[in-house]
Amino acid sequence: MEAASVPARTTRTASLDAARRLVSHYGLIAVLMILPVAYGIHDLRVDGDLSRLGENLKDGVSNGAIWALVAIGYTLVYGIIELINFAHGEVFMLGSFVSFSFWSALGLTLASKGAGLLFGLLLTLIVAMVACGGLNVMIERVAYRPLRNAPKLAPLITAVGFSFILQNVGLEWLGGSQRGVDDLIKAQNDLFTIGGVHITHADVLAVAVTVPLVALLAWFVTRTRLGKAMRATAQDPEAARLMGVNVDTTISLTFLIGGMMAGAAGLIYALYQTTIWFFQGFQAGLIAFTAAVMGGIGNIQGAVLGGLIIGCIQQISDNRIGGEWTPAIVFAYLVLIMVFKPQGLLGEETREAG
Amino acid sequence: MGLTACGGGGNGGGGGGKVSGSTLTVYSSLPLQGASRPQSQALVNGMKLAWERAGKKAGKFKINYVSLDDSTAQAGKWDPGQVSANARKAAQDDTTILYLGEFNSGASAISIPILNRAGIGQISPSNTAVGLTSNDPGAEPGEPQKYYPTGKRTYVRVVPKDTIQGAAIATVMKQEGCKKPYILNDKEVYGQGLASNAEQSLKAEGIPALGNEGWDPKAPNYRSVASKIAGKGADCVFLSGITDNNGVQLTKDIAAGVPNAKIYGPDGLCESAWADPKKGGMPTSIDSRVECTVATLDPDKYPPEGKKFFADYKAKYGEANPDPYAIYGYETMSLALDAIERAGDNGGDRAAVIRELFNTKDRQSVLGTYSIDVNGDTSITDYGLYKIDNGQIKFDRVVKAKGASA
Repeated sequence: MEAASVPARTTRTASLDAARRLVSHYGLIAVLMILPVAYGIHDLRVDGDLSRLGENLKDGVSNGAIWALVAIGYTLVYGIIELINFAHGEVFMLGSFVSFSFWSALGLTLASKGAGLLFGLLLTLIVAMVACGGLNVMIERVAYRPLRNAPKLAPLITAVGFSFILQNVGLEWLGGSQRGVDDLIKAQNDLFTIGGVHITHADVLAVAVTVPLVALLAWFVTRTRLGKAMRATAQDPEAARLMGVNVDTTISLTFLIGGMMAGAAGLIYALYQTTIWFFQGFQAGLIAFTAAVMGGIGNIQGAVLGGLIIGCIQQISDNRIGGEWTPAIVFAYLVLIMVFKPQGLLGEETREAG
Repeated sequence: MGLTACGGGGNGGGGGGKVSGSTLTVYSSLPLQGASRPQSQALVNGMKLAWERAGKKAGKFKINYVSLDDSTAQAGKWDPGQVSANARKAAQDDTTILYLGEFNSGASAISIPILNRAGIGQISPSNTAVGLTSNDPGAEPGEPQKYYPTGKRTYVRVVPKDTIQGAAIATVMKQEGCKKPYILNDKEVYGQGLASNAEQSLKAEGIPALGNEGWDPKAPNYRSVASKIAGKGADCVFLSGITDNNGVQLTKDIAAGVPNAKIYGPDGLCESAWADPKKGGMPTSIDSRVECTVATLDPDKYPPEGKKFFADYKAKYGEANPDPYAIYGYETMSLALDAIERAGDNGGDRAAVIRELFNTKDRQSVLGTYSIDVNGDTSITDYGLYKIDNGQIKFDRVVKAKGASA
């Protein structure tokens, strides 16, 4: 009896596994394509072209680029010390605040134009990246490093604690209301139009800052000695230490890079949205963390992909379904993706999972 | 001792009660932080002016005035927990005779039931949501009964309710040539209620809205919402909500995404934090496309008592052109003191004072002559239309809402 039933069960399990693999490969793609394809067909029938869908996706990519930069910070830190750095959203928020304060101090206003504006903003970008990178390193030094060998809940709580501390710093800094900042780059003016899709200054800014930064980061992580040290530490800190990698420095470096990305995202956010407030980090943090999980936490490309996908879902939902439903739809997507692929879209096996 | 005030923090009863001493306390509860701070400050100033001009007395009673804050720094606007704490504080104070507030309708929806149970009268200087006082169109099912657990009315207001503002906005939109209006609301008691009033009035005007949907106050931007509205061909957009719910970002995005549309805001947006870029408001480049309504009028349009108020206000606070709400603060306190005085020897009796509030008939006030009806609503129906000029809110004209009745 026993012996006879085993092969049958194995066959059934094998075919189930195959079905599951099939679903996880193509089901996921199908899930992701539902909205764009459905609305694409709808647009072709009603408008006769795809410019509205194009507009949605363009808005999605440029919004998503900001989420991607923030998500990288979550994913890098998780990848290397398996900590969800809850304070990261607030570091991003302070990036916006530092940017706004710095460009105001520089005297950039609506009247600023051309080279002066470009130079001023580049300088602001550097200042925001350095400030946020430094802040993130400081947080790691103060709140996480002493707890390296403590139970996992301990650094989680210090992270939440730092998140609140930084939020209150923001609250003291610019008050509790959303604050409009000068629209330095005329964010919503069209630069050019392709196939009925309007490309605005804000879109170009988001992509023009994000793409080089992500490319640089990818190069850094895969090609340089320090990048290799980061990957080695992520794989096995103990072995990396035995091989001569300075683990503490490597972890500090990871926080520095994550913070710098958040600083850049903070500046883009301020210029792109033209409104900043102390609570933006909580919102963005939640979305970016979701993006990192969706893409496969610990994976940089995954974080970027997750950010872009969430950006697109948000914009399609805002445009077609109604802004009041957007958060629900984004998280419904997250649930679906997790069900099909628990490790995320490009997820790798982490130490914990694998 | 020997105080007989009953009720207290929501433990039923609803019997009002008498304050035995000769000193009564009037509380105000307004958002002193966030975008509404300038109006709240103007309201408090107006209240203080009225209180001081009456010699801090009403009839034979000495009056204490205590200003409470119903906002928190964290929320940046009125906060439900803070509102109920304020209402409970007043309910637990045995000397409380009246409570002036809240500024926001959503907040009053929380404080009215608490004060109703304690039998304390309440006057709002600014609430406009319909459902707080009546089940007229715009109210939700269960309103207004759910706010009055004792079954007795305890709340009055000195501004017209939103059936009037909705009609006023629809009238203006019609006058200004809107053909395809669109409505967005912030989903609060006030924003959603007013949106539904405006929707009905627009229909009555023969220019039905293409849509009426909520906006997410925490969204980073509203560009896709704007492009959807543009895609539907809307030529006018009415934003029914408050500045603190990301009103500036919404206005900017709608202005950019629906390039030729006119934008209308209600009294919840019509404030400097929305209009003035120096205070974080919208850029001046879109000023010419934006208008808003408030239940206040041009200082020149007020009766002689009203004009005297502006002179006194200037003398005391040094502001020649005070926030439009200052006069409502003044009238709210004046009405409170008047009701206590009219109650005569019973001025310390909460129930008697509430009775007098509802007995207000043809009151000659700084706002003009008005009465309070059985629901606690004022008979005044005038609305002011304001334009934005270089970040400043400027009175344009009085709107007589077509088909609006008090």
